[in-house]
Amino acid sequence: MSTTSFFRLLLGVYGSMARRRVGALRQRSRLMMFVIGIFVLSYWVAGYILFRGGFAFLTKFPGLGGLLMDRMMYVFFAFLFMMLVFSNMIIGYSTLFKNPETQWLLTLPVRHVDVFRWKLLETTLLASWAFLFLSAPFLLAYGQVRNVGGWFYLKAFLLFLPFTMIPAALGSLVILLVTRFLHRRMFKWALFGLGSVVVVAAAYFVKPMQVAQVQHAEMISAMNQLLHNSRVVLQPMLPSYWVASSMIAWGEGWSERGLFFFLVLLSNALMAVLVSVTTSRHIFYEGWSRNHSQGRLRLGLGVLDEDLHLRRGGQVLDRFLALWPWLHPATRALMVKDIRVFWRDTSQWSQFVIFFGLLGLYVLNLRNVAYEWNSEMWAGFVSFLNLGASSMTLATLTTRFVFPQFSMEGRRLWIVGMVPFGLKRVLMEKFWLSSLWSVSITLALTLTSCWMLHLPAWMAVLFTATVVWMSFALCGIAVGIGALFPNFGAGSTANRYDNPAKIVSGFGGTFCFVLSMIYITLVIGAEALPVYFGYGMTSDGRPWGLVVSWIFVSILSLAAIAVPMSLALKKMETMEM
Amino acid sequence: MIRTEHLTKSFGEVTAVSDLNLDIAQGELFAFLGPNGAGKTTTIKLLTGLLKPTSGRAIVAGHDIQRESVEARRLMSYVPDLAFLYDKLDPLEFMMFIGQLYGMDRAEVSRVSNELFDLFDLDEARSRLIETLSHGTRQRLVIAAALLHDPKVIIIDEPMVGLDPRSSRVVKNVLKERSRGGVTVFLSTHTLQVAEELADRIGILSRGRLIAVGTMDELRQASGVGGALEDAFLMLTQEEEQEEVETRPA
Repeated sequence: MSTTSFFRLLLGVYGSMARRRVGALRQRSRLMMFVIGIFVLSYWVAGYILFRGGFAFLTKFPGLGGLLMDRMMYVFFAFLFMMLVFSNMIIGYSTLFKNPETQWLLTLPVRHVDVFRWKLLETTLLASWAFLFLSAPFLLAYGQVRNVGGWFYLKAFLLFLPFTMIPAALGSLVILLVTRFLHRRMFKWALFGLGSVVVVAAAYFVKPMQVAQVQHAEMISAMNQLLHNSRVVLQPMLPSYWVASSMIAWGEGWSERGLFFFLVLLSNALMAVLVSVTTSRHIFYEGWSRNHSQGRLRLGLGVLDEDLHLRRGGQVLDRFLALWPWLHPATRALMVKDIRVFWRDTSQWSQFVIFFGLLGLYVLNLRNVAYEWNSEMWAGFVSFLNLGASSMTLATLTTRFVFPQFSMEGRRLWIVGMVPFGLKRVLMEKFWLSSLWSVSITLALTLTSCWMLHLPAWMAVLFTATVVWMSFALCGIAVGIGALFPNFGAGSTANRYDNPAKIVSGFGGTFCFVLSMIYITLVIGAEALPVYFGYGMTSDGRPWGLVVSWIFVSILSLAAIAVPMSLALKKMETMEM
Repeated sequence: MIRTEHLTKSFGEVTAVSDLNLDIAQGELFAFLGPNGAGKTTTIKLLTGLLKPTSGRAIVAGHDIQRESVEARRLMSYVPDLAFLYDKLDPLEFMMFIGQLYGMDRAEVSRVSNELFDLFDLDEARSRLIETLSHGTRQRLVIAAALLHDPKVIIIDEPMVGLDPRSSRVVKNVLKERSRGGVTVFLSTHTLQVAEELADRIGILSRGRLIAVGTMDELRQASGVGGALEDAFLMLTQEEEQEEVETRPA
């Protein structure tokens, strides 16, 4: 069968399934669909306003404005490129090597390379669409400030096609090589190593500016420093450089230069795909077979040795949980099970590491912010930016990792559901376990950032208390909504959703994320507005305004925990397994 | 129709299939038995080309599964124990997809599908989404899809799991009829009665090694136990385990 016929058949199947999924969405609650629609629209509007404001601010610098805007484009696409490579690697590994459909396709009379091609296309779409969605307001704002015509946006869309192909091809190439030449148990260590290298390199190279200079009216000098320190994104061999250069050129009406960089990008994208597909001819099947044929990892390298690592891990976990003798044995057993399952699922925690890598990068970068409390604007801005970034990352984490927990019990739900303590305890255990790890991680990050920002003690206490509330509330939302809208998949066991990424992509996951974002917006709004309007502190320096808003945050957080959790617990009483 | 030559597969230090030599003729229904973890599924994955052997080779329908894999897969069908299905398709759409993958035209797929739906009592399910079907109905659909392109070799793993007695009878009859019509059936199962009832020959795998192969009578003779296959199977696998313990270094 030719590649074209194979693709045409699969496109037909995927098209039919997509139409049915859209049809099923229409049958969902109109109110919920409306809420999700409003959220998407709000993100675009808010993003657009924020980026447009930022670009308008930059254009005010005489002589430097255009340069700064262009540099933002290079920086933006460099980060986007890095994220796309990671995203393609993670999704590509699951799609190419862990997907039941891939295994099934490999038993049919089609060439392995055609299966690879199809899965590469699927990976590219899955890994890239969200980034395109997120970058739309950025490009719209850039275009508006630059006063470009409508053609610019069409050209920008055209540029995105080859731009997403390069990280997809690179990511799949890395995955092909890793699975062919490394033990599959090494994958998480390889990914962890690569992630660490990227974070350390980024922490070393990315030093945008000293905010102290900004508040001391040395703006021009600070902007010069920003330009100097972000030179790393101007490497002409980077695909992000080609896409940004083309977009900038087209934005300024230099058609030929824009076309030149578009062709550079396109030719490199085609070459990257060619290299990836050609490599797959030789090693995809070998890697697939090897990936499914490997026994225990025995390298004699201490922590990397699977047996030793599992044994030691088990001991540490047992000792840790023994520190809480009051824990019910059933709760302890559930916690041990959940922690072990999470740790041994590469696709789960590799994404977890990336999320925290980004958050860690943000915190590391705070060392460049010389915070001084006598500047109201920077005090409020940096502090709330800090809180917003941490809480949004936490919401992403709880939606991605906590929400699917209940659904992932799937066909195993009866095991925990039939024991005497019942499903309510299962749900409460998931809530407490997820809340505790969320609190411990966000607390560590918040305290570190407060210390780096030299915040006054009462401000640090306020932020820390808020973050603790947020951790519990976001976990309450994720666990509660996860149980109210479980996504067990359907049909035979082979098709059930053991893949958390697929569980999240359903209606419940989207709803959970939307609710989390609404909650965060309300919390940040409640705490930021008194500061913005000057009611945060009384004339004698007491933070009563903030205390009042914190009480509101506490009530809101309690409601965010209590409402979904109590509804979910009630559902557990009558749930059929 | 199926031949393996010194077929061996190791997972790290563990040898899942060791030096397997099989020769299964056209039209033969061969049952493959073995305790849990004996290497049956690994053997099937080697025969279908899902796994690459550590050494040796497998030839299916006259084609080396590694060197001429597309040709071999075109002439065979594989029904795994946990089959993949597209949940948002209905059975006819699924059959249409499979049939076209095997190069059949739409009219032919439609005609054969109708016959198979009749045979497997799938008429009522034909316009429902696969996600709404019961496990047994899905299993019948998977088997029907495997027969769609009239394969020369059928490799089937635990076909009776989840089937009610009537469906189970239909599947047994179909497999027997196909085998009489010249199709080679390689059936892996834990259900000894199914093997006893259907198989022309039976192979018993234990710890990756083929410890016995032959007709029912030959197996009874080899085990020294008369009566049901169960007794012969237990005796042969027990002997193998005992031998393993005795030869293991202290």
